[in-house]
Amino acid sequence: MTQSPARARPARSVLAGIAAFGALGGYVLVSSVGLGLWTSLGPGPGLFPFAMGAVLALMSVLWLLQELKRPSAAGEKADGGLVLAVVVSLLLLAALLDLLGFQLSMFLFLMYHLKIRGKRSWLSALLTALAGSVGAFYAFNYGLNVALPVSSIPVLNLIGL
Amino acid sequence: MDTLNELLNGFAAALTWQNLIFAFLGCLLGTVIGVLPGIGPVAGVALLIPLTLNMDPTGSIIMLCAIFYGTAYGGTITSVLLNTPGEAASAITTIDGHAMTKMGKAGAALTIAAIGSFVGGTIATLGLVAAAKPLGELGLLVGPPEFFALMVVGISLLVALAGKSMVKALISGALGLLISMVGIDPVAGAPRFTFGMDRLLDGVSFVAVIVGVFGLSEILSYRKGESTVVHAPGFRSLLPTGKEWRRSAPSMARGTGIGFGLGLIPGMTGSVASLLSYGAEKKFSKYRNELGKGAVEGVAGPETANNAHANAALIPLFTLGIPASPTIAVLMGAFLQQGLTPGPTLFTEHSEIAWAIIASLFIGNLLLVLLNVPLVGLWTSILRVPAPILTALILLFMVIGAYTINFSVFDVFVMIGFGLLGLALRHLEIPLAPMVLTLVLGPLMERSLRESLEISQGDFSIFLNRPISAVLIALGLLIICSPLLKLRKPKALTDDPET
Amino acid sequence: MSRKKVTAAIAAAALLALTGCGANAGATSATGEDFPKKGKSIDLVVAFSSGGAVDTAARLVQPVLEKELGTNVEVINKPGAGGQIGYTQLTSAKPDGYTIGATGSPSVVVSPLDPARGAKYTRSSFQPLGRQVIDPAVIAVQPDSPFKTLKELLDAAKAKPKSMTASTTGLQTGEHFALAQIQETTGAEFAPVHFSEGASQATTAFLGKHVDILVANVSDVTDLTKQNKARVLGIMTAERSPSLPDVPTFKESGYNVEAGTARGYSAPAGLPDAVAKKLEAALQKAIEDPEVVKKMNDLGLQTSYLSGKDYETFWAGQEADFKKVLPKVQKKD
Repeated sequence: MTQSPARARPARSVLAGIAAFGALGGYVLVSSVGLGLWTSLGPGPGLFPFAMGAVLALMSVLWLLQELKRPSAAGEKADGGLVLAVVVSLLLLAALLDLLGFQLSMFLFLMYHLKIRGKRSWLSALLTALAGSVGAFYAFNYGLNVALPVSSIPVLNLIGL
Repeated sequence: MDTLNELLNGFAAALTWQNLIFAFLGCLLGTVIGVLPGIGPVAGVALLIPLTLNMDPTGSIIMLCAIFYGTAYGGTITSVLLNTPGEAASAITTIDGHAMTKMGKAGAALTIAAIGSFVGGTIATLGLVAAAKPLGELGLLVGPPEFFALMVVGISLLVALAGKSMVKALISGALGLLISMVGIDPVAGAPRFTFGMDRLLDGVSFVAVIVGVFGLSEILSYRKGESTVVHAPGFRSLLPTGKEWRRSAPSMARGTGIGFGLGLIPGMTGSVASLLSYGAEKKFSKYRNELGKGAVEGVAGPETANNAHANAALIPLFTLGIPASPTIAVLMGAFLQQGLTPGPTLFTEHSEIAWAIIASLFIGNLLLVLLNVPLVGLWTSILRVPAPILTALILLFMVIGAYTINFSVFDVFVMIGFGLLGLALRHLEIPLAPMVLTLVLGPLMERSLRESLEISQGDFSIFLNRPISAVLIALGLLIICSPLLKLRKPKALTDDPET
Repeated sequence: MSRKKVTAAIAAAALLALTGCGANAGATSATGEDFPKKGKSIDLVVAFSSGGAVDTAARLVQPVLEKELGTNVEVINKPGAGGQIGYTQLTSAKPDGYTIGATGSPSVVVSPLDPARGAKYTRSSFQPLGRQVIDPAVIAVQPDSPFKTLKELLDAAKAKPKSMTASTTGLQTGEHFALAQIQETTGAEFAPVHFSEGASQATTAFLGKHVDILVANVSDVTDLTKQNKARVLGIMTAERSPSLPDVPTFKESGYNVEAGTARGYSAPAGLPDAVAKKLEAALQKAIEDPEVVKKMNDLGLQTSYLSGKDYETFWAGQEADFKKVLPKVQKKD
């Protein structure tokens, strides 16, 4: 992010955050009026959200004023590469979970994190990934009676994945 | 005598082999969570909730409570041995605890910490036993307006104590309430903020939200160069000397008092208790000039306070239904998912379950001493597991945890989304604690507000006409406005890393 | 190499720990013939909080069901929105027999009728399995109340409409309908307070004197009457209830009001036939079990079993009836 030397202006990420909360507050205010603040039967479904939307909007304004007066140091920046790798791999895993089944998709996920990102030895990566995918599957299915998803592709399903 | 009888029945229920195993597993898992630096008690308890959903209410709550106070123990081990606190509440223990390790007295430090925790935990649980009946009977005085006012006080305390900025804490609290409102309106049945998605009618699963906001975002915010590969030092003997015992007794007494008192106040976390206890040792201990150089008081006091706090914090939860800290809020969510509403009605409607859980607190505290001391070597070996493997395994458990809430990938996506939200909130330095609290309390708060307004037929003055709620509301407003009145909060609170 | 050993040890310990949490059991599939799989538990969703009559009845039936079906049956409370949240969960579950639920009318019948509630289910989303009881509605006042008879109470409410608050278990539930019917036939108007979690919250609020009038079912007040914590002034049935023999009916007092709650059990629609048969048979056994019937009696509940098919017909009949009264309990903007 921009780290202006004089720090006269608030960080861009902070402004974006304030804008997002303000917008959310505004959206909630508008839609809660639509839900009905008060009905002939008493307080309506929109009353409580309306109050919360108001708090959110009001606090965003206050925060903006505070920032303009005295910009805060932007928080520590996260490791972008790590965030991207973890989030994208999780999204892929979630998307493929029902298709490939738990065991195969989790195995690939773990191998990615252990071998490619973690740079573990083949043996260590394989053992951990197998325990976490196949091992966890059987422990949950037979031990805990918790059914983890199996593959929806017939060929894979047949061989027990 | 009545109470004693019910407590004995509770013991009978808690001592079945099944419930003993649950308590044992809970202590074990809690210690692991406490030892692992990456995953705090909030995300840890939330993560394990889905696993307990298929169990009967008693067993599942016994296990989750054991996990909860188990984390208070586990954090100590790494503080003493490695100078890295496994969780925030043990941070202060590193000073004297690690100094003792360097003197070769790690075993004594850990034993003192374990015994201190046991003493603090047990005395606080006795307090819960004594308070349960009378406070439970007060319950009938608490009608919808009083209940709403109570929650206002609880939330405003946490908001006021969390982080550095009241504005940010309020944003966090409002966000939690808004998330809790997604789904079918609990009164009129109208869908709210579901964006036409059927999956959202039942609301956003709070487990997925908390695992995302607390757990996943923690992993996402790791920075390079934070390696945890360490080597545990050896230690000569587990047993402290007679002199060390004598010296730690008064510290344990002070720690119990501080932890117990703070546990009753919503918004005070275990870290505050251990920090204040260390401060008390510095002021009152006979050996205060040795503090910082490996004095046993610096371990005995804070560790006792920490655990007394953890157990005492269950008192407002059990008797009033008010969670005093984020971890307790998560625990309360688990109660609600099991169909148990913590609060005055818990002891009238589910008295067997309530007493079984209380009895299990005694058992769990004992189990932890037995587990903690001999198994120290095993716990530290967990830290020798390389970081990539730990991260991968934690991610694995998060995915399984989120998936098994409803057996649907949808909750996995929810968890990922909230992980990113958590990361953004951390970046903006918005405290996460108020959000968890309001996330759990939201539905209860809204319901009591609407019931109150139905009783008064739309007149908001109902909150001021009734003495109990009027006092509570005034208190809440005072707390929220305290920055305007220039009421300073103690420095210990501002620096509290847990909130 | 110790690193690997530790890893393996942790993985093994984790798996061991997890397997310890539950009973051993076979794989999961849901075809029907092999229903119920041993060790796979059946969820019984109760759409009200624990402690109320629906919950109590379900918990009485549960052990017999377990014996009949040979597997665990877990009662799960999903309270909120006067039953709608639990019903939504029930009807969106897989129709494999492992999720069944307690259904009570009018809440289950009415919630899909009012478009404002946006319920995602209709009558045909449920597969009725059997009716257990009919629980008549009653009206009660505080034991120290000046009102000794129903007439005194209703006259006072007529003279000063909405001057007294009355509890219900949620919008458009049996109690709400009962209040609307009272207003319709007698002109006495109370201010309803909706405790949408269920009867136990309503009762607690009444005991704490936060509401003036308790509108509830016979089973909710049987104990309260014995302990002298509530004075029941009238019961909304044709005949007096055996568990409250001293309480006059509304008819006796000159008001033609009949209201109550009918409760039974249903599954999400689309059960395989074999599964439905097994569940229905087990439920009948459980509902008519002499021990259960006796305990229900103690609670003030008269068992009146109907088979799945008859329960469905009864349900359809109620739907037609409630459609007529619905406008009185609907919100007007």
